[in-house]
Amino acid sequence: MDMSELTQSSAPSRFIGGQLLGSSQLVLGVILAVLCIAISIAAPQFYSEANIIAILRQCALVLIVASGMTMLIITAEVDLSVGASLAFVGCIGMAVLNSTHSLTLGLLAALAFSGAVGLFNGLVVTRLKVNSLIATIGTMMMLQGGVYLFTREAVQNHHRLASFTDLGAGYIGAIPLPVVIAALIFALAAATLRFTTLGRYLYAVGANERAVRLSGVRSERLKLFAFVVTGLCVGVAGMILSSLMNAGQPTAGRGFELTVIAAVILGGTSLLGGRGSLLGTLLGVLVLKVIDNGIIILGWNQDLQMVVPGIVIILATYLDIVRNRANVG
Amino acid sequence: MSVDFLHPGETVAIDKSVPALEMRGIGKRFPGVVALDNVDLTLEPGKIHALMGENGAGKSTLIKIMAGVYGKDAGTVRLRGREADIKSPRDSLKEGIKVVFQEIALIAEFSVAENIFLEGYPTGKGGSIDWKKIRADAAALFKRIGFNVDPAARTGSLPVSQQQMVEIARALAHEARVVVMDEPTSSLTPNEVSLLFTVIRRLAALGIAVLYVSHKLDEVFEIADTVTVLRDGRHVSTRPIGEHTNDTLIQDMIGRRIENLFPRKRGAPGSKVALSVEGLSTAKKLKDVSFEAHAGEVLGFFGLMGAGRTELAKAIVGYDPITSGTIAVDGSRLLPHDTHTGVRLGIGLLTEDRKSEGLMGELPVYQNASLASLSAFARMGFVDKASERKAVQDYVDRFRIRTPSLFQQVKNLSGGNQQKVLISRWLMRGLKVIVVDEPTRGIDVGAKSEIFALIDRLAGEGLAVVMMTSEMPELLGLADRIAVICEGRLTAIMPRDKATQENILNAAIG
Repeated sequence: MDMSELTQSSAPSRFIGGQLLGSSQLVLGVILAVLCIAISIAAPQFYSEANIIAILRQCALVLIVASGMTMLIITAEVDLSVGASLAFVGCIGMAVLNSTHSLTLGLLAALAFSGAVGLFNGLVVTRLKVNSLIATIGTMMMLQGGVYLFTREAVQNHHRLASFTDLGAGYIGAIPLPVVIAALIFALAAATLRFTTLGRYLYAVGANERAVRLSGVRSERLKLFAFVVTGLCVGVAGMILSSLMNAGQPTAGRGFELTVIAAVILGGTSLLGGRGSLLGTLLGVLVLKVIDNGIIILGWNQDLQMVVPGIVIILATYLDIVRNRANVG
Repeated sequence: MSVDFLHPGETVAIDKSVPALEMRGIGKRFPGVVALDNVDLTLEPGKIHALMGENGAGKSTLIKIMAGVYGKDAGTVRLRGREADIKSPRDSLKEGIKVVFQEIALIAEFSVAENIFLEGYPTGKGGSIDWKKIRADAAALFKRIGFNVDPAARTGSLPVSQQQMVEIARALAHEARVVVMDEPTSSLTPNEVSLLFTVIRRLAALGIAVLYVSHKLDEVFEIADTVTVLRDGRHVSTRPIGEHTNDTLIQDMIGRRIENLFPRKRGAPGSKVALSVEGLSTAKKLKDVSFEAHAGEVLGFFGLMGAGRTELAKAIVGYDPITSGTIAVDGSRLLPHDTHTGVRLGIGLLTEDRKSEGLMGELPVYQNASLASLSAFARMGFVDKASERKAVQDYVDRFRIRTPSLFQQVKNLSGGNQQKVLISRWLMRGLKVIVVDEPTRGIDVGAKSEIFALIDRLAGEGLAVVMMTSEMPELLGLADRIAVICEGRLTAIMPRDKATQENILNAAIG
């Protein structure tokens, strides 16, 4: 029985090391290391500074949204509308920028829209008691259609604001700005989950919502909070994406929700709620993006960018089951 | 399979001189645990044999070996004098052993008759199923056990008690010589229990050996001829029931004597009203319930299954909506459907359903204990983990919660220790009124007295304890006043010294 203290993968444990070693993150860390070593043997340019920066840049968008999504999945809910919302946010942000020439107003509009989408999802789930999988598929369809009602083609950059271009392409020192933003959001979310009462309640509500409600905690508000945070993260990511593309693309973000959820699940967060960590999510994002990068560097067929991560998700989950079984025995 | 023997009134020729089932030196290991060690059990035809023991004593492992769910690692099984090799549930049925598990294993969508003949439908001409014969045979089986169930009824629409009868009828259809009943009364009303006992006695009269697995003392005294007690996977005793008293049975089960199951240390209750409920009604169950609970008293609510105990508990803590009435905690009004305010005013529920309403099974002990009082350990929104854990450790020590560490997942603790964690959750928060719903459900005899002592202590510290229970001894042993509900109405409320089993039961029947 003493063993389970080491293997408990739920919530914060005493040592960061203990948490690392004790959960699916160990499996994931090994997978990441093997991948990096294998790719660099086959293609030494993998370890160049330029390539590492490129990988981090590609991780940024996914990590931003995955930070919110991790919180949401820990509360045992999920949001499938983030991809559709990402495209819509970019179009709206760009349109507001074009008419106001103010980066602040553009960002605020994007955050207001994506936050409202999150709030809508949250209200449908907590008030109308619609299952979040279904509710957010509904939202996704509404947004995918709605964006075409808003604009049939890409919203082009007519404002030429340099600060907007920096959002996606700028640097702080040697580090791309999107990576810095992602790191900040990640750190904030991770600290919230690990150290605050709010974070503890998020785990609790995912582990047993009724128990939380009977303990006098307003569980609906916690879920609502997680939905809104996820929405806000989409707002930030959507603006960075439109900056990178220099346009608001209504077709952007297709399948983005699956990449985000895959990274979170790969990182060991349970879809049943109550279990998971942002450290795991970070590793999940890195694994997926290193695979992407490796396939390009090795000159493989790009369609494998979908196939290989699919295999990795099944394999990593299976290895986790095997590891748990070994620990029980 | 032959179903020809199924004529009403026909008796099965059973040789009563040979044991129906003889298990010798049974051993079973699971990784890291010895579940059974050299256990013997002999079942005589026509006798009712009780198997008792606390959770983890090895009762279920033993019956799962009989049922062919688990293989055994050591020992022999003889059926009617012949050595038998039971490798699968199918073998077990073929050898004439029928185990009725707590989780009923019937197909809910099928008719009763279809379920009875699941393993082999009688066929007519051309291999088509003879539905008429199935219904008639099923009806004949029910007649033999003296119970009336419509063979054409959809099984899932029947109450658990009748589904058990279907299982028993299946046993007869298989010509079972040994019928095992696993905790059969855990979800039955008293009426249903007495019907079940009639049927079980009937099985014995047919010459079948019955193994009755239970931890309820009164039931075992009522129905068993012989009792075998297991403890920690070992055989402790096998004796005729006449040689046992309550005390000797408990002693065998827990390995020590319990001096007094209901130690009373608290003084007389105060007169301050901590909870006042007036005219409370809910949409489904409760009708016009009014009562007051005083600081320092245990107010026991008794009611039969379905009387509305749990509904009342959930309504007065503000969990469920109400249609009319008022609830006041310490003078302040509590609006329904608002546990947040409820807890702030100082009323909380110790649920009967620990798994789905109390525990966060995957989370560690300390997080389960501090759930309701987390904000007390927060500085600017951050949890001060050191002081939180120190506070929890304090309760673990004081209540002797047996856990390897504060970081153990709470699902791995025993029922009694889980209950103590949940009581700690409320004590850490500080309440004025605690509503406890079936506080000892699923808890071992040994741990029960500790829970009783804790409830006594809660009242002693000045809380008003509102206790919902269906266990008469618990009610009489703990309560200062006794309230009885029947079909959602309060039918009696009386001081403990005026209460007798008879007047309580009369009020409960309505």
